[in-house]
Amino acid sequence: MALEVDGVCKSYGAVRALSNVGFSVPRGEIVGLLGPNGAGKSTMMKSILGLLRPEAGRILLFGQDVLTDPVAAKRQIGYVPESPALYEFLTGGEYLDFVADMYGLDVATRRERIAQFLSGLELLGHENSLISGYSQGMKQKVALIAGLVHRPRLLVLDEPLNGLDPRSARVTKDLLRNLASHEGVGVLFSTHVLEIAEAICDRVVILNRGAVVASGTVATLRERAGLGGSGLEEVFLALTGTGDLSDVVAALSH
Amino acid sequence: MNFHRVRRLSSTLVASQLRSGRSGSNPRGFFGRAVVIALADVALFLVAFGGAEAVVRTSSLTSAQLALLVDTTAPLLPLVAVAAVLVAGVMFELTATVKFSGSDAANWLPITPSEYVAASSSAIAYTYSPAIALFLGALLPLAWAAGVVPTYALAAALSALALFEGAVLVEMVRATTQRATALGSGRRGSATFVLRAVLLIVLILAFNLAFNPVFLLGFLQQFSSVSILTALVPVFWSTRAISEWVGGATYVGAAFALGQAAFVGMLVYLAGELRVRFWVPAPTEVRLSAPSPQRGHPILDALGLSRPEAALVSKDLRGFVRRREMLPTLVVPIVLVVLLFVEGGTIGRFGSVLWVGWVAGFFALLLAVTSIGQERRSLQSLLAFPITARAVLRAKATSVLFPSLLGAVAMALTVGALFGFSPLEYFGLVLANGAGAVVLALWGLVFAARFSDFQDRPRPQYLRPGAMLAAMGSGMVILFAILLPASYAVLVPSPSTVVLGLEAALLAVAVGALALYWARTGFDRLFRELPF
Repeated sequence: MALEVDGVCKSYGAVRALSNVGFSVPRGEIVGLLGPNGAGKSTMMKSILGLLRPEAGRILLFGQDVLTDPVAAKRQIGYVPESPALYEFLTGGEYLDFVADMYGLDVATRRERIAQFLSGLELLGHENSLISGYSQGMKQKVALIAGLVHRPRLLVLDEPLNGLDPRSARVTKDLLRNLASHEGVGVLFSTHVLEIAEAICDRVVILNRGAVVASGTVATLRERAGLGGSGLEEVFLALTGTGDLSDVVAALSH
Repeated sequence: MNFHRVRRLSSTLVASQLRSGRSGSNPRGFFGRAVVIALADVALFLVAFGGAEAVVRTSSLTSAQLALLVDTTAPLLPLVAVAAVLVAGVMFELTATVKFSGSDAANWLPITPSEYVAASSSAIAYTYSPAIALFLGALLPLAWAAGVVPTYALAAALSALALFEGAVLVEMVRATTQRATALGSGRRGSATFVLRAVLLIVLILAFNLAFNPVFLLGFLQQFSSVSILTALVPVFWSTRAISEWVGGATYVGAAFALGQAAFVGMLVYLAGELRVRFWVPAPTEVRLSAPSPQRGHPILDALGLSRPEAALVSKDLRGFVRRREMLPTLVVPIVLVVLLFVEGGTIGRFGSVLWVGWVAGFFALLLAVTSIGQERRSLQSLLAFPITARAVLRAKATSVLFPSLLGAVAMALTVGALFGFSPLEYFGLVLANGAGAVVLALWGLVFAARFSDFQDRPRPQYLRPGAMLAAMGSGMVILFAILLPASYAVLVPSPSTVVLGLEAALLAVAVGALALYWARTGFDRLFRELPF
């Protein structure tokens, strides 16, 4: 198992962000972490990285508690935060070089990998420009490359396709699929675009108000929600108790 | 010009400034409203008024003496107002990060350049108005007692105009430096950044020095006839108007006052034109020459830093030159050293040695306390990298000490050259300055690890204000406790002063060790959990 989350609880003051959350990410699988805004997805991902300390529960990375040796754990994880805060006074190339230094990549390896990623995500020619001049999509691509460049064994991706153009989004999705199926990389992937989750995730975990309300394959969830022929969107809305939205839409239309 | 739009934009810009410096509190609360500045004006005015009134009542000054005091002080008020707004504006407004400069929305909202200039200038003038409220409050009881209230009223009106004049000048500089900071667009080479930084530093330095009283008076005294100079330079016209009024030349005074108002009107027009001509609405794409992946950092490697630590130091050092908001910090020691050249003759050898030691230590402290907060939201990435808290501490200490020690040595050499030091004195001075800088850097890191502010703001503060005060206060006590005996031992070597020097060294080691311990525990705590 790449990742096992068991009984994790986390509060911010009086607000319970995670409540007894448990799920797992097997090696070679892409698991979608879904939920409405404020459901606790980002908190969960930060806890996996050791950026936040849960009050209860445990998080095992390849069988080892992430808090036992946080540096070793981080070395195995590739993380793309929800809103990547890059050092905007560096160029894209300098930033990736900095990240490669952080993961201890040798010069030849980093040169080859960074060039491949820059080319694949159509950033070649921009690597010597300051990040401050990049579009949101370009910054997201740099964050993605930074999360992938050291070939992690587990990817924790918080809305990784935000702002990407269709081609780059497609490249990223296919890359994730390949990494999972051929390299055995475990992928935990959060998104609000349910079509994407349905298309690439082997299983999904739905969080609502800090608790897991459902998990399994999309087909399993459909059956559980009694929505056999429906898409993931209907299943998601039913499981998160969002219900019928026609009144809201009608009110906003006037 | 749509004045309603100007007023609305202006109040929004003021609110943005007020709220930018505060976190965790209600932005719509009392201290987040523009009216709070007006109340601060009134409060400062009343406090100064009360103090001056008490002095007038208890003093034995005659009306004539009080009138003389008002007549000589009032003409300087407009000059103080322009200087205060210009220096504060250049230091704080021009170095605000572009995305927060408060003017971004003006790029797409239906606002004309003149409307923007008028609104932004009004906002800047209003924001810094407490600087002049204090003086006006203090002067009123004197003017009242002396029976020269009309002079006071003229000075007050022209000071308000001067506040606006200073703000318009800031706007003009902002527009032109926007283009200056975009110089690198399309060019290649790291020299671009150095050029940009030098341009901004020179600009900030020029304004700081030009409106420094020592420089200004020194400059004026170069001229055989100050009256000709003040008649020719519009920034002095308000001063001249009040002087003429006081001297009984009412019409000449009125002419200068009207001339000043016309000059400000022309500045508003010019500022609008400059904005049209030079404003760069979008962040420009600055390109550097293609770097190959780095093969290490030879100097940093030689210091025994690991690869990630060296990468962090290298990143921070680049940030010093490339980050606009860091420039005021870099300017501080330069301004202080230039002032030493001006005032060196008056403060003597001992004073000068203390001065550069203080500048070196203060600079190290300033860099250290801001070193963690400047990571801002990127701290999340830093904590996600496989690097220990201790490694980050080593990297941060190095990135603070590198420029600080260079500065300390450079300043020691400068003051040594100024006073013709012997090699032994040079050595002692470098040692004392270096020790002060190291201890203050570690002391600053103690605060940075515990009280950093990671909020994105127009004017990033990096460290919580209370902690900044505590760090500066305690840091200065420590610094002088080391510098005073050390400097004495260097300049007046004798068995007793050498003992003093050794005591200073012991103190430096003890405080340094304690600070290192606290910094380590602080970094360990910081790395336990993301603080935001």
